[in-house]
Amino acid sequence: MIEFHNVFFSYQPGKDILKNINLKINKGELLAIIGPNGAGKTTLIKHINGLLKPQKGYVKVLDMNTKETTVALLARHVGFVFQNPDHQLFAETVEKEIMFALINFNFPENEIKERVERILHELDLIKYRNKSPFMLSGGERKRVALASVLCYDPSILILDEPTIGQDFHQKLNLIDLINKLNKEGKTVIIVTHDIEFVADFIPKCIIMSEGRIIADGPTEEILTDSKLLLENYLLPPQLVEISIALNINPPTINFEKLVSFIRKIIERKE
Amino acid sequence: MGIIEVRNLTFKYANSDKPSLYNINLSIDKGEFLLITGPTGCGKTTLCKCLNGLIPNSYNGDFNGEVIVDGLSTKEHPVYELAQHVGLVFQDPENELFCTSVEKEIAFGPENLGLPRDEIRRRVEEAMAMVGISHLRERSPYELSGGEQQKVAIAALLAMKPKILVLDEPTSNLDPFSAYSILNLLFNLKKEYKMTIILIEHRLEIAAKMADRCAVMNDGRIIAIGPPEEVLYSDTIESIGIGIPKIVKLVKTLGLSSRPLSPSVLADILKVKK
Amino acid sequence: MNIFDFEYKRESSIIHRLDPRAKLVYLILFTILTVYFTNPIILFLVFLSSLPIAILGKIVKKWATSIKGSLFFIVFIFIFNFIGIFWTTGNFIDTITISIAMAIRFISLISIFSIFFLSTSPEDLMQSMIKLKLPYEYVLTFNMAMRFVPTLAKEAQTIIDAQKSRGLEFEKGNIFQKVKKYIPILIPLIISSLRRAEIIADAMESRAFGASKTRSFLYTLNMNKKDFIFIIICIIVFITFLSLKIFFNIQ
Repeated sequence: MIEFHNVFFSYQPGKDILKNINLKINKGELLAIIGPNGAGKTTLIKHINGLLKPQKGYVKVLDMNTKETTVALLARHVGFVFQNPDHQLFAETVEKEIMFALINFNFPENEIKERVERILHELDLIKYRNKSPFMLSGGERKRVALASVLCYDPSILILDEPTIGQDFHQKLNLIDLINKLNKEGKTVIIVTHDIEFVADFIPKCIIMSEGRIIADGPTEEILTDSKLLLENYLLPPQLVEISIALNINPPTINFEKLVSFIRKIIERKE
Repeated sequence: MGIIEVRNLTFKYANSDKPSLYNINLSIDKGEFLLITGPTGCGKTTLCKCLNGLIPNSYNGDFNGEVIVDGLSTKEHPVYELAQHVGLVFQDPENELFCTSVEKEIAFGPENLGLPRDEIRRRVEEAMAMVGISHLRERSPYELSGGEQQKVAIAALLAMKPKILVLDEPTSNLDPFSAYSILNLLFNLKKEYKMTIILIEHRLEIAAKMADRCAVMNDGRIIAIGPPEEVLYSDTIESIGIGIPKIVKLVKTLGLSSRPLSPSVLADILKVKK
Repeated sequence: MNIFDFEYKRESSIIHRLDPRAKLVYLILFTILTVYFTNPIILFLVFLSSLPIAILGKIVKKWATSIKGSLFFIVFIFIFNFIGIFWTTGNFIDTITISIAMAIRFISLISIFSIFFLSTSPEDLMQSMIKLKLPYEYVLTFNMAMRFVPTLAKEAQTIIDAQKSRGLEFEKGNIFQKVKKYIPILIPLIISSLRRAEIIADAMESRAFGASKTRSFLYTLNMNKKDFIFIIICIIVFITFLSLKIFFNIQ
């Protein structure tokens, strides 16, 4: 569904940000892209909706070559939620904000009305429909930005650092929404620094470092390899650190498994 | 009397319908490392601004109660005077740094005080050494990484020679490695330079181990305060939206009686040999 | 990057080390020359006089980029003037002469300002303005605005990307529709700037801004021999050009 083939990209000649990226993401996957600052994560995801085009190689999204397709056409299928909602919000009311993309994509008027109603309900924004988006709190503005992208039902959803500034409950709400969308068949890609969030909730992850893909696989395998993580300037999740301190091999990111391992250790001592 | 005394502090922003802070009472000792956490909107940032006088001096609203910092009441002294006793570091370093070199950035504060040039020079050198960024002196702040920028921001405040440093989620825009580096720096500042550190933080796994006390806020009130193990293991804060460290959840599920905050301490308790 | 890429970068050239006041003299005198003369050959000579300064300042590449970036405007000015003057006078030679002159005048101004801003650090500029007895708050405001231009440019790009990702297409539509499309760019930029301004104000106050009426400076500017030599050279060149008017009546 999304394919990167021998992709190279640089903003300035001589300084490649993406080096020989080869990647296949299948329909319906839920994955996280992690890596140190400057690894090229944001540059990579901007290739998926065509904001950036590769200098060498190609990127295919839903069988469309991004070099031959406009951003608007790709954006119809790839919903991109930027890190800072304030970079998107501009309309007089929340309702008009949500309508923006629908109008741009030429949805018929009755469908626009229906979709706006639906998304306002789904994201608990009904009471704000006539309010100015700038009057809302940070978390609420994030929801509006998300709503304005989800309303047109893109089959691929990209979230750039969705957990920054979110507290525990907000993160739970977020993952509930992500899981719901994933179950509906959407491909969801999350770029994040929050390794705990990935360890707890995201089944697949990709490590990027210095413009390359270092690892690509199930989260349980990748985040328990602390050597791999440290080599790429990432800190292992807490449960992995605890596993290592307690000589539990292999380390695990699964809470229940760790509990039962430790219970066995306690029993053995008794 | 602590170096910071907050007495019956209630504050409501002018354009808000309910107070952001209700009846806050807090006494912070000199040299203490206090960790404050709580869900979004609990009033943490508002409290920070009350601690360095931005509230009530620069923000309109209903301010009741008292905040006394290093003997000075924030109601009766301007921010620029309080700035020499308490430094405030914000979340996003990009908006805190506005000079063309790290050196000049750090000099900005002392320059504002009208200090003689050799004193300014001395303070700049000292601040850079305390934070470990002397090698960055000629660099432009916006070329630096987020972690380095935050260190410059901290050095810029240290040049004012405050006894207290208040930091409002300084690591939230940083990657974990840089976050770790900043938190370590803060711990050093407390240990070596005996500074009082007040840190608002979500990453409790690392910060909790460094703090002397931890306070949890919710809805504008402090609902728990005490040694980190006591607070984080208590049942009262379980239902609030804060990121309780996994080790706490683990130990509680296992039903153990001790309250470790780090994996190595847990290993000791279970007598696991490396 | 673009025509307004007047971003100061640290270099150790002679021109960078000159006191901003000396460069200000250069800026004013040569701007006067550019605006005063209408003869395209003279104007071209005035423009050429920027070249040695750019070379000495080791900023030739960036200086050339600014000029290259303004090519669109230069052509526009040429065409605009050409049509306007030909329409009025019908005289082909006059039209060409004046149109070229206008275009060169524009390039010259871009060149002079570009050299000034590329080689002067905002702080030094700020200090020189203070030494010229301009009020500190205004000087600082101007300085800050300059410092945040690259930040705003970066943010504008992010906002454009974000709105393009919601289907906004800049190429489509008539002129009115195209202008309307900038609203989703400008509003977030303005709001973001307002929010940023508040944070900066807090940060400055937290570093005792306003504490003392007599603010001190870590680095002070002192005019030295090189500055005065530079000023004298500028004055000599200025007078030389002016004498062309006086003695040969060249406009």
